[in-house]
Amino acid sequence: MPELSDADLSACADRQLSPERAADVAAVLAADAALAARVAGIREQNAALRDALDPVLAEPIPDRLLDAARPPDVRAGRRPAAPRWLAPVFAAAATLVLGLAVGWYARDAAIERSGTPTTFARQAAFTHVLYVPDVRRPVEVWAAEEKGLVTWLTKRLGFQVMAPDLNAVGYALVGGRLVAGNESPTAMFMYENADKQRLTLQVRKQPADGGETAFRYALENGVGVFYWIDAGSGYALTGTIDRGQLLAIARVVYGQLAALDAKK
Amino acid sequence: MAPRNPQEILIARAPSEPAPAAALPHPDLVAAIPRLRRYARVLTGDPTSADDLVQDALGRAWEKRALWQAGTDLRAWLFTIMHNLFVNQRALARREAGNVSLDAEGESDAAWQLPVRGNQLERVELMQVLQQVGRLPAEQREVLLLAAVEELRYEEIAAVLAIPVGTVMSRLSRARERLRRMAVEAPVPLKAVK
Repeated sequence: MPELSDADLSACADRQLSPERAADVAAVLAADAALAARVAGIREQNAALRDALDPVLAEPIPDRLLDAARPPDVRAGRRPAAPRWLAPVFAAAATLVLGLAVGWYARDAAIERSGTPTTFARQAAFTHVLYVPDVRRPVEVWAAEEKGLVTWLTKRLGFQVMAPDLNAVGYALVGGRLVAGNESPTAMFMYENADKQRLTLQVRKQPADGGETAFRYALENGVGVFYWIDAGSGYALTGTIDRGQLLAIARVVYGQLAALDAKK
Repeated sequence: MAPRNPQEILIARAPSEPAPAAALPHPDLVAAIPRLRRYARVLTGDPTSADDLVQDALGRAWEKRALWQAGTDLRAWLFTIMHNLFVNQRALARREAGNVSLDAEGESDAAWQLPVRGNQLERVELMQVLQQVGRLPAEQREVLLLAAVEELRYEEIAAVLAIPVGTVMSRLSRARERLRRMAVEAPVPLKAVK
């Protein structure tokens, strides 16, 4: 029988023995109850440590650490200047100003450019990444006051909005807020599942003659957006889950909105 | 999931496009944060200093991102950075405070505010485990945590801590034996936990 060292016992408990050595060690342990008990004891220690420490993994990540995970040039540049995510908004605004100066035709063209669904998807992604990581204030009004939230947003947007119920697909309403859009105010509803994964649904009035679109998908720097236009309203469902899951949830949202329309 | 080089996100961005991704937290770093926090919390023994340490480590990771080798384990690299910061901080504190060695016995940390879930009895037991870990010398605590909780390979631990594998094994054995003795000896009186 080979001699066992403390290192062997540790490696055995941690399951880090090479296959050949593992067979030898198993043979020794089978014949020596005291050694086997030591290995079991180490495994109990390991399990106790993990039990005691695993809850840390489930804690929400503080903003300052999320911020530290951002590229530093952006962090440095952000303080004096406007946030980078606003740049496209400024760009869109600049396009509008230019459009006004050049004339009505140019203005229309500019609106069309800044108001296309592509821009809406991007806008939705900006808004999503702005609020979703926020631990303490992701929303303005919490789900507990859903009724007031919906009434408020309906009033501000000028048409009936609703917060779809996504509990059936595992997402509970966190709350919502009013956010700025390119041309019209936008309502944002935030949802969260048991794994703290968050989704947002953004709703805005679509410019006239926007028509209707089927679901379209855009991937904006890792953030997936399904967006569509229906009955004069634009919708964007945004999240970092995979495309198939996001589409399935988009269908649920669409179905509930269609049911609401049918009641009107 | 193959970790991406933090540098890529900077290179990949077209200069003409003010992409929001530039401002987004790097997903691989974000994915590593919970484990870094857990490890840091056991090193420092208190949540605020732990998060300070993680924050410093993330900052250092961005500074040194050119040194990260693509294809290697990003998490292990981050642990390495954090370990070095921790050792430096300890050395500084030691110089300021006078004498305490990193390997000093019973340098128990003032406040262990670690989370413990479970029923009353379990909580007491888990709390006790953490208190006992807190009484280990920091260098043994590190090895124990990386092996038992983070489940790194011994060779990886050796690389993270820049010590030979043999030293990893001996520290690990000592840590486990010490914990075992603490467990059979009279239980540690528990401090009040908020």
